[in-house]
Amino acid sequence: MGRLRYTTVRLLQAIPVLLGVVTITFFLTDAIPGDPVQIMLGPSPSAQQADAIRAKFGLDQPLYVRYVNYLADVVRLDLGESIYYGVPVTQKIMERLPVTLFLLLSSFTFALCTAVPLGILSAKRRNEPTDHVSRIVALFGVSTPSFWIGLMLIIVFSFKLGWLPATNIVLPWADPASLDAVDPDASWLVARWQVVATSAKHLVLPMITLGTLQMAAFTRIERSSMLEVLGEEYVKLARAYGVSEFTIVRKHAFRNAQLPLLTLVGLQLTSALGGAVLTETVFSINGMGRLIITAINNQDFPLVMGTTLVFGLVFVIGVIITDLSYALVDPRVSFEGSE
Amino acid sequence: MSNATYETDTDPDTDGPAAVESRVGWRYTISQVKRDPTAVAGLVIVAFMTTVANIAFVDDVLFGFLGQYAFFANRGIEQFVLAETFWVNPEVDPGTNQILRPPVFMTNELYPEQPGTMAHPLGTDHRGRDVLVRLFYGTRIAITVGIVSTGIALVVGTVVGAVAGYYGGWVDDALMRASETLYAIPFLVLVIAFMTAFGRDLTFAMVGVGIATIPSFARLIRSRVLSVREEDYVEAARSAGVRDRNVIFRHVVPNSFAPVLVQATLQVGVNILIIAGLSFLGYGAQPPTASWGQMLNNSKEYMLPNPWFSIWPGIAILVTVVGFNLIGDGLRDALDPRINN
Repeated sequence: MGRLRYTTVRLLQAIPVLLGVVTITFFLTDAIPGDPVQIMLGPSPSAQQADAIRAKFGLDQPLYVRYVNYLADVVRLDLGESIYYGVPVTQKIMERLPVTLFLLLSSFTFALCTAVPLGILSAKRRNEPTDHVSRIVALFGVSTPSFWIGLMLIIVFSFKLGWLPATNIVLPWADPASLDAVDPDASWLVARWQVVATSAKHLVLPMITLGTLQMAAFTRIERSSMLEVLGEEYVKLARAYGVSEFTIVRKHAFRNAQLPLLTLVGLQLTSALGGAVLTETVFSINGMGRLIITAINNQDFPLVMGTTLVFGLVFVIGVIITDLSYALVDPRVSFEGSE
Repeated sequence: MSNATYETDTDPDTDGPAAVESRVGWRYTISQVKRDPTAVAGLVIVAFMTTVANIAFVDDVLFGFLGQYAFFANRGIEQFVLAETFWVNPEVDPGTNQILRPPVFMTNELYPEQPGTMAHPLGTDHRGRDVLVRLFYGTRIAITVGIVSTGIALVVGTVVGAVAGYYGGWVDDALMRASETLYAIPFLVLVIAFMTAFGRDLTFAMVGVGIATIPSFARLIRSRVLSVREEDYVEAARSAGVRDRNVIFRHVVPNSFAPVLVQATLQVGVNILIIAGLSFLGYGAQPPTASWGQMLNNSKEYMLPNPWFSIWPGIAILVTVVGFNLIGDGLRDALDPRINN
């Protein structure tokens, strides 16, 4: 079975999970007390208006009919229209999703780029001061509320030092004309550079806020799996042959130690998506996380359903990518015999 | 000195030198944990926090409940009687001249006429209430929610995981697909939706977080049960005609429980973090009850005039969660045979 076929099978296996996600969210949002019509039309709408709205969103039909209709719509990739914003849910999601994905990817990159060297160093110098420091950093990292790190970073780097902005995120591919920081008379290249620079400045604090927990969790697992691999017979053999410690880590131990880390990366996605909600709140970022909170608070059923489904999809795809990357790390993993 | 040690170590009834210490069982585990200084530090932190939480519970909930009856009220027992006798009430606004004081010995650039005082060692919040006393009373919420929500997940997760692992087949498939589904929704979102549907207060936060974290326990115990169910003593119990329910809960579960216990200790810390996050978003203990997440939520708007107000609750959360993590790590080291050897 080739990689393509494996991916297809895994995507098909994800369908029941996504169906479950839709079902749970559907009945959970239905249980939310209150009337979305009131939120749209104010406290005392006329009966005609209310009926018209109910008919438009199918709220006058019984629950199971709405459920089946919704499933049929999802299959046709139609997520309906947001009650609160009055625009199609897909449009709202496409507006917000890039911001959240950008934040997620950069914080995972930050986490991996710090955790892997830190974990290896910690394992190589076991029980030395370096190891103690990195273990304490990791322990505090998994024990600190991410949003509090965000608040502290804002106090220090935005309020006291004034180095970095405390709100919002700018995408590096944003239109230069939409930013104040960009000189309107600048040439295309300079303007592009200014956009990227602004984007980087805005990114630093939210990225650290969201990435610290992952960084700490990754460091811990990298350290323990590296310790395990460094105790293996083949490492001892390499050492006996006089291979340098650096080469041992680079050529013999590194790849083998990455499998547990990869598994964790996939699993951490779900907590990172939750963390994104908090990070976006602290930094007033208009991403998916705040969108879903607004949607829940306004009983915007179609939007709640749509955003949760997209969150589930991001998680499922993330796990599949993790599984595929096993093969890159470990050549013994093939998709031939696997089901 | 060495002689005395030799004598105490030697068992007079055996021929060999010191009797071989048993490497299984709770007594051994506890002795291992006691030898680990970091785990002991964790125990000290958690013991301190639990004591504070219990005092706060008695003063707030128990005395508050008893104070409703004339018999106790006439004898001076009412909510926060301890706090008021020895200090200040954590939930009553003392007046606007006290707001946003910095910690003792510090001055505030924006309100230089209101320096920190000994009366409020960590300063005051946006309504003039003492931050330290609110931190103490917030301990009650943190410890309770951490332990109760983990307890819910632990009990339900153990049953689900054990049943799935023991029976296998379609039962296993169905339960594991269900737990995967639950896992695919970011649990902060799941819990917020749950709380919006059923209630925004703390009870539903605990239940919601408990439900949302069932999968991690179910998966863990299932993987252990898969190997334990093949053991001879399970086979023996089954052939002796012991009922499935008793085989699962008397033989299989107790022998699969060690890693679950480690996970539970660590999960208490994680759940404290999640519920602090929920309170930060406004879902959780409702004002005026003091909770750390809610204090951070309040402090958000006053970070510029009084940054201290946002620092303390975070440190309280950090210290508590570190305590649980240290115990969890110590337990894991004590229970993991690979590290022991």
